Amino acid sequence: MTRYLWDTPTSGDGRRADRNRWDRDGFGHLHQVIGAAELAGLDGVVVPYDPDGDEPWIVAGGALRDTRHTRVVVGFHPAFGTPVYAAKMSLTLQRLGADRLDWLVHVEAGAEDEVRRGDHLIGAARYERAAEFLTVARGVWSGRGALPGGFDGGEFDHDGDYFHVAAGGFDEAVDGHPFPTVHLTGTSPEALALSAAHGDVHLFTESEHGLWPQVRALGELAAARGRTVRAGLALPVIAREDEDEAWARVLRLWRETDPAATEDEVRSRGLGDLRFDGFDRIGYRTPIGLVGSYRQVARRLADYVAGGIDTFVLSGHPAIEEVHRAGEHLLHLADPAGRTLTGARA
Amino acid sequence: MTVDVYWRIGMGGDHASLRTPKVRNRGDWGGVGPGNLAPAVRNGQSDGYAYIDHAAAVARASEAAGFLGGLLPSFPGTEDPWALSAALARETTSYRFMVAFQPGFLNPLQAARMSASLQRATGGRLVYNIISGGGGPAQLWWGDQVAHDDRYARTSEFLEVLKGVWQGEPYDFDGRFFRTGGAALPPRLAGEPFPEIYFSGSSAAAVNAAGLHADYYLSWLEPFADLERKFAGVREHAAKLGRVPKFAVRIDVLARHTEEAAWAEIEKGWQYVDPAVATRQAQGDSVGAGRIKGWVPATITGYRDVEVQPNVWAGFSLLRGGPAFGLVGSYEQVAQRLDELLDLGVDAFILAGNPHLEEAYRVGEEVLPLLGRARFTRPVPARETVSTR
Repeated sequence: MTRYLWDTPTSGDGRRADRNRWDRDGFGHLHQVIGAAELAGLDGVVVPYDPDGDEPWIVAGGALRDTRHTRVVVGFHPAFGTPVYAAKMSLTLQRLGADRLDWLVHVEAGAEDEVRRGDHLIGAARYERAAEFLTVARGVWSGRGALPGGFDGGEFDHDGDYFHVAAGGFDEAVDGHPFPTVHLTGTSPEALALSAAHGDVHLFTESEHGLWPQVRALGELAAARGRTVRAGLALPVIAREDEDEAWARVLRLWRETDPAATEDEVRSRGLGDLRFDGFDRIGYRTPIGLVGSYRQVARRLADYVAGGIDTFVLSGHPAIEEVHRAGEHLLHLADPAGRTLTGARA
Repeated sequence: MTVDVYWRIGMGGDHASLRTPKVRNRGDWGGVGPGNLAPAVRNGQSDGYAYIDHAAAVARASEAAGFLGGLLPSFPGTEDPWALSAALARETTSYRFMVAFQPGFLNPLQAARMSASLQRATGGRLVYNIISGGGGPAQLWWGDQVAHDDRYARTSEFLEVLKGVWQGEPYDFDGRFFRTGGAALPPRLAGEPFPEIYFSGSSAAAVNAAGLHADYYLSWLEPFADLERKFAGVREHAAKLGRVPKFAVRIDVLARHTEEAAWAEIEKGWQYVDPAVATRQAQGDSVGAGRIKGWVPATITGYRDVEVQPNVWAGFSLLRGGPAFGLVGSYEQVAQRLDELLDLGVDAFILAGNPHLEEAYRVGEEVLPLLGRARFTRPVPARETVSTR
């Protein structure tokens, strides 16, 4: 089954290309977006680690409480605290949200954020720490020995370079709740190796040269370890009833920041296969996404699925409107099997 | 100054009453047996409710009964208070979430981000219960290797950084435990009210660490003379730092319309207490909240043996997990003891009783009015908080 997730706008949202002109913000708005994703049939929301935005664990708690079906992917950095604490918070979120929590672990958060957090770890060491973080978090999750409501020690021990646990383990408190599905990102050899060893889903982004070489490289690394890592894609989308309308939207946004731009100039940023390189200039986080009619975009999504992508993180602003477009016009075309009522009428 | 009165939320399920102290039938922390709720069993199946659905009911009951908010404790085998508060943020309007946490478990900038977002989600209703850790094997269970006095030094650094980044101005810090370079909350998160701090620990290391940061020194209930001595010690430490401390006490309450009815409840629960376990505890086999050694006879034969002064009973931890001391008596007696504590200089109470839901109403309706509502801080609905359920 293909999963369609939506990127939650934790650092504001609005109609314009220029983020400074956005005026939707705060928890009331976030819950409107999350509620829209739930009602429009999206499979989940990603709450990204964004140093300028609202804190993902807090947003995730409210999102899980406020929804029935939506999976909630909480983004965080492995230096945010201890792996035991990440697992502990996650267990409560699994318990209260009927096992709908997933993780998106951001190993690279940018130099500025690292300095602010006082994190002096650089290069490959960041991936070693992330691997240890995931080992410890999974270890205490499945470790036996701690009595519910009390403390009598567990059977998980870890004495590593970054983290230390003695007599750890959640034991019966876990009671069948699954460890969150781990999403990772990045294209460096270290990033792919981390996913091959510890990831469940690796989120790629489109590039000028396409994403299949990276997807294949990850698949080979994982296979060498006897594992399978699912491939996901973070993808901005502007889809409308017809192609011209979609491009008109792109052009209107573009001209808000570059009034003199001609249509040819903007369209020349197309990379083929509906891909447009310039979303980061019109208020999106990710540079390359799709522009086209609902039918065109749906066909492209199906092509990605055929190539091995099983998770999409779609994004668009303003989010409430774009979530509804995706749910009402796009997803059932891209993924009719799971989105058509079968048997008796409801 | 009015007195702040909080009510606890049980974080590892709850009992129907202390008459059945071994059965935790609210939530699934003690399994799902007959008479369970959240989840309940319907047609042989779990009905899909989770403990949070009952915890939400306790929060709403506390709010309705006039409490300012609730303490959400944190232990290895319980729910996590950050996660639970985030989930419940929109279901109450004036209820303050007192989140218990240990500074070693989160990076201080991360804690600042979480706190500021929780302030935005709740309309400014976050309160801290900062714990520096009881030590022993539980610290290593959590993955914390730092020694006792060093943990207080770390708490101090942690709070310094948390306050340093809070207003959104770039903040540099180079300490033993934490470093930051130009760290700040982003504009979106900066400028929220800084949470009040309830600080657990009354050793010299604790008081020194808390000196610049704590709003309240939080203690378990102890015999009043011991509490008075403890407060005097804290006042003395604080005076050296030029501060006048405020005090808060955590108290379990079992109040009924008569004293006899209250003790009858205890008597029913007491039949499940193993006298050998009671005596072992009396002779010092537990620490922290459960410590009763020195306050009770070395051999415990009946429940009145652990009534250490009128209405002050040290047997709660023998009935269920949690602190040992609480008040047992008629509504009038319990109110009178609380009044005496106010006279000792207490500025805030964190009260509790099992079952937390019904006892919140009982204590709110029967005990607090005897002290006079006007003495308590009135809950005020938070700004911009939307109730969705």
